[in-house]
Amino acid sequence: MPFGLIQVLSGTVGSICFAMLFNIRGRRLAVSAVGGFLSWSFYLLFELLTKNEVLSYFIVAALITAYAECMARVVKTPTTTFIMAALIPLIPGASLYYTMTSAFSGDLTLFGNKAVYTLELAAALALGVITASAVAKGIFAGIKRWRSRLTNNEQ
Amino acid sequence: MKNKLTSAMNIGEEMLAAGAEIHRVEDSINRILTALGACRVDTFIITSSMVVTVHTECGEILTETRRIGGAGTDFEKLHLLNSLSRRICSGEVAPDEIDAELSRVHSARTYPLWLEFVCYALIAGAFTLFFGGNVFQALFSLGVGAAVRLSLLLCDLTVKNRIFAKFTGSFVATALAFLASHLGMPGGADAIIIGNIMSLIPGIGLTNALRDIFTGDSITGILRCIEALLAALAIAAGYFVLAALTGGGV
Repeated sequence: MPFGLIQVLSGTVGSICFAMLFNIRGRRLAVSAVGGFLSWSFYLLFELLTKNEVLSYFIVAALITAYAECMARVVKTPTTTFIMAALIPLIPGASLYYTMTSAFSGDLTLFGNKAVYTLELAAALALGVITASAVAKGIFAGIKRWRSRLTNNEQ
Repeated sequence: MKNKLTSAMNIGEEMLAAGAEIHRVEDSINRILTALGACRVDTFIITSSMVVTVHTECGEILTETRRIGGAGTDFEKLHLLNSLSRRICSGEVAPDEIDAELSRVHSARTYPLWLEFVCYALIAGAFTLFFGGNVFQALFSLGVGAAVRLSLLLCDLTVKNRIFAKFTGSFVATALAFLASHLGMPGGADAIIIGNIMSLIPGIGLTNALRDIFTGDSITGILRCIEALLAALAIAAGYFVLAALTGGGV
């Protein structure tokens, strides 16, 4: 089995388990699982295209937020639910671990690099989420205004 | 209006405790109180405190303050609270029914404790594979994940300190991983430790903290950043103690 497929599948299992720890149930658990599956699939795709992990993190966070904003409106629940569960495979766990090991080995240059890299990944995730939710908010507000104008005209 | 303010704050407090973002809580309280007839609502919320002031139609000014304890993540509860606040705003739930509805939210279902052990085990196993571990490491990680959950449970029953719990969890995971690699586990300890760290690290916390800062809730963001940093340090400390004892891993 190719390593990418193993990663996508195990990342999805991780997302589902985290979603259950967050007490997400029923239909919302299924939406979270799909989110987890999409997030690492998107990441592999954009990592291949851009060859830049931080940029890929930003793009995937934005795409997942778009997915979460849409699904949150379908099942009428706070958007955070799906963002939190779907971004689980992108948590920089390995990066944090190597930050720790480099600090322990006393290699301060490596430690600095790893620590900054971990923070860059987290910041890319946060910025991706914010950008996409701001855009989504604007779009959904626009649709609402357009719809109410339509109904007003009919009257 | 006094009772309505208290009810709205009860909902807000529960939302915060269920892991809602600050601006969602502020927004919900504003909407509920405006729907219930307040002329002006001012909310100030950070992770550990809530202050809400309302101006009533008859010119009265009421303020209530809450100290907020620890927050967890319970999206089922948040879902119910969110739809309750929607129904209050649309007038479907009358003001005197709010408390009864809220106690129904309290009895929301949760998964049983044994399933949390299974989840911790599966998270550890899955992420060991995810970060390049082999099948033997992943199988061993399943057991380590359950042991980490057990150590967190024991911490919860005795010291009740979240930072110390992270230290203990990381200590247990590292100890078992080093032991396995000492006994000849193919592939070594790294992937096992990383798999188990995934359920401990404040990745979500840090991302949320940065989100708060970027969206303007800077005080909350800074508090959450420090929480995430402390948790990361505690995890590192758990690893360091063992690495120092064994001379940098086995």
